[in-house]
Amino acid sequence: MRRYVLRRVAAFAATLFFVSVLVFLVIRVLPGDPALIIMGTEGSPEAAARLRESMGLNRPIAVQYVDWLARALRGDLGVSIQYDVPVGALIVSRLPVTLPLAGLAALFMALLAIPLGLYAATRHRRTGDYLAMLISQLGIAIPGFWAGLLLILLFSVHLGWVQSGGFAGWSEGLWPALRSLLLPAIALGFFQTAVLVRATRSAVLDVLGEEYVRTARAKGVREGFVIVKHTLRNAMIPIVTVAGIQLGQLIAGTIVLESVFALPGLGRLALGAITARDLPVVQGVTLFVASSIVLINFVVDMAYVLLDPRIRY
Amino acid sequence: MIHPRIAVALLVLVLAVTPAFAQAPGALIVQASTEPPGLDLTATPASATAGVVFYNVQEALVKVDRTGKLVPWLAERWHTTDNKNYTFFLKRGVKFHNGRELKAADVKFVLERAMNPETKHPAINQYKPIADIIVKDDYTVTVALREVQANFLLTMARQGTVIYPREAVETMKSAPIGTGPFMIQDWVRGDRIVLRKNADYHVKGLPKLDRVTYRFIPDPNAVQAALKAGDVDVSLFGLGPEHVTELKKDARFQVIVGDTTNDVILAMNNARKPYAEVKVRRAVTHAIDKAAVLKGAMFGMGKILGSNVDPLNPYFVDLARAVPHDPAKAKKLLAEAGYPNGFETVLKVAPQYYYTVRTGEILADQLKKVGVNVKIEQIEWSNWIARVWREADYDLTIIGHAEAWDVANYANPKYYYRYDSKKFQELFQKSEVTLDDKARRAQYAELQRMLVEDAPAVWLYMHPRLVVAKKGLTGIWKDLPVPSADLSEVAWTK
Repeated sequence: MRRYVLRRVAAFAATLFFVSVLVFLVIRVLPGDPALIIMGTEGSPEAAARLRESMGLNRPIAVQYVDWLARALRGDLGVSIQYDVPVGALIVSRLPVTLPLAGLAALFMALLAIPLGLYAATRHRRTGDYLAMLISQLGIAIPGFWAGLLLILLFSVHLGWVQSGGFAGWSEGLWPALRSLLLPAIALGFFQTAVLVRATRSAVLDVLGEEYVRTARAKGVREGFVIVKHTLRNAMIPIVTVAGIQLGQLIAGTIVLESVFALPGLGRLALGAITARDLPVVQGVTLFVASSIVLINFVVDMAYVLLDPRIRY
Repeated sequence: MIHPRIAVALLVLVLAVTPAFAQAPGALIVQASTEPPGLDLTATPASATAGVVFYNVQEALVKVDRTGKLVPWLAERWHTTDNKNYTFFLKRGVKFHNGRELKAADVKFVLERAMNPETKHPAINQYKPIADIIVKDDYTVTVALREVQANFLLTMARQGTVIYPREAVETMKSAPIGTGPFMIQDWVRGDRIVLRKNADYHVKGLPKLDRVTYRFIPDPNAVQAALKAGDVDVSLFGLGPEHVTELKKDARFQVIVGDTTNDVILAMNNARKPYAEVKVRRAVTHAIDKAAVLKGAMFGMGKILGSNVDPLNPYFVDLARAVPHDPAKAKKLLAEAGYPNGFETVLKVAPQYYYTVRTGEILADQLKKVGVNVKIEQIEWSNWIARVWREADYDLTIIGHAEAWDVANYANPKYYYRYDSKKFQELFQKSEVTLDDKARRAQYAELQRMLVEDAPAVWLYMHPRLVVAKKGLTGIWKDLPVPSADLSEVAWTK
């Protein structure tokens, strides 16, 4: 077990290193000069040149990278070109929006997808199954941003129940803050739900065909018990695997939905930083998101042990 | 496990019993699409910054009022005998937000800091003619120029010349201090900037609002929804003509369509074939039906332009019909220039500005009719700045030039138009040192006619100012002669 954890940690570090090199190179290969963007069409070329120098962008890429890496290892991700605030602080300030948003969306996803998938599997090739598959087909077909706009139209414009966008802030209290995250979380979770419903359905269908399920039924075990204890538990490994991948997708999905709902989260920070070529922020956020996804995968791997006692590392 | 149907019902119930967001009297929620990159007007020329700070938080000695006129502001008057030495008499009792009174030494500090290359002021060239700044007493300061500069008072009114206290330089980027009607209260990055009333404001009775919240909503559909849901009171920047048309039908809103200094142009690379040939440039101009462009791209909102001086400029001459839409003539000119069968060309547009793409599609269609086959290439904004604007690596491009008095760009042969006319440059230089208004007006009329003649670009239309506000809100500027969102006189009538 310890060797396994150590191996995972080493893989974790290596992944991050490759991600950092990749991000660093890709963003510099792209045309677009941060100094020029800051100055816009109204600043003079000399002013842009001075700005470039003060940002250290006139140095060789390799020097810039080593410098950045050395400081990142000490926990210093640099200072945002746009905001003039340390990148670390900027990321931390956006987490109270993005983490609860992704968490809430994941909760919706799990609460909806697993029961629905289970239901579809037990009604295999009957109306309930087709209905569930139809809903999931819709979920896959409808893009998150559009679902978001529809939700705004219904719940904010027509019914006036929730604000159309923006974030109230946790300082305003738990409910106002949660309320501003509800619609985006539903919009975000909807698409992911659809995929997980299908994964759950097929995993459960597989297990339902197993001989031990037939045996359980033959010896008169209650159907509910068969489903929950014998089937779902054994179907959990593929479900958890898909859910883990979906969690990563959720984090990526926040980029679009935070723009639609005008939420001050990590996704919008990243989007704004890419447009403005705010390199330290792009690198910082990418590194952070990559670490989170690697971490999620790690947790998923660990969860296998809990789900299936036969698995030993 | 909760049944899905029950979960939805519960959610609906919880949402229904909570009251919707209530609006406080004296408070205003303004939508803007772009969050400022920083709030320091002496560090960034971004219009998003000016939209929050300029005239609301910080002000200059001279002000451009809502009609585009220069009026005394922090300087209550000024005089000059030789047009080289300007003496400004400061308004007394003007206090910065930190409570200290504005003195002549602050003016000297601000101008010297702008002139210092270390400051990295984006418009440092505007201050180059200044030779000396002499403080006569606490309320009198003289600015001595090296040479006569016709636009000097305008420079003193520009966003880069706002007056701030020396002791607050460090905080300019995040919490600027000035003399304006509002002070920065809070900036929640990514979400909002909150301004609160300056109770000590030097203009009696202003501002009328107690609190202004800027909310940054990038998506125009989300803006429309926010307006309809009552979550924002006014959209100053960011709605397109299609949204305005839709909101016009809603009795809860007033729609303001005004003038701006934003000229949308089809720029041609004058240094590149075939546009180096004036006949080709004139042919392109004749081939374009500007009225159809305005109708198709802007739903008819805005004004057709004939030259690069905008309708808010005092020297504006209406040349919209100087080069009429005439495809037959366009074909003839192309044949004379050696392109009887037209040519292939690439139009680079940045979708960051919505109007560029749709305008481009209409233009491509019109140019095709005279044999010019336009391939539209969409590029990212940063790419546009680097390739098109800086390196002039393009055939055709469409962009809005929002800066006032930007006819000056045609006098710069290195500007991305690559328009190099000695005649134009000389006349422009002459106009810069001509102080007699009548003579200068005549020069500007001549400059505009020269542009029509040489056709270095096609001036398509002035992008309109499109504001949608709740009914009952008054005092919003109709036109936008400067990139500001002056809210000092804005009030609710009920």
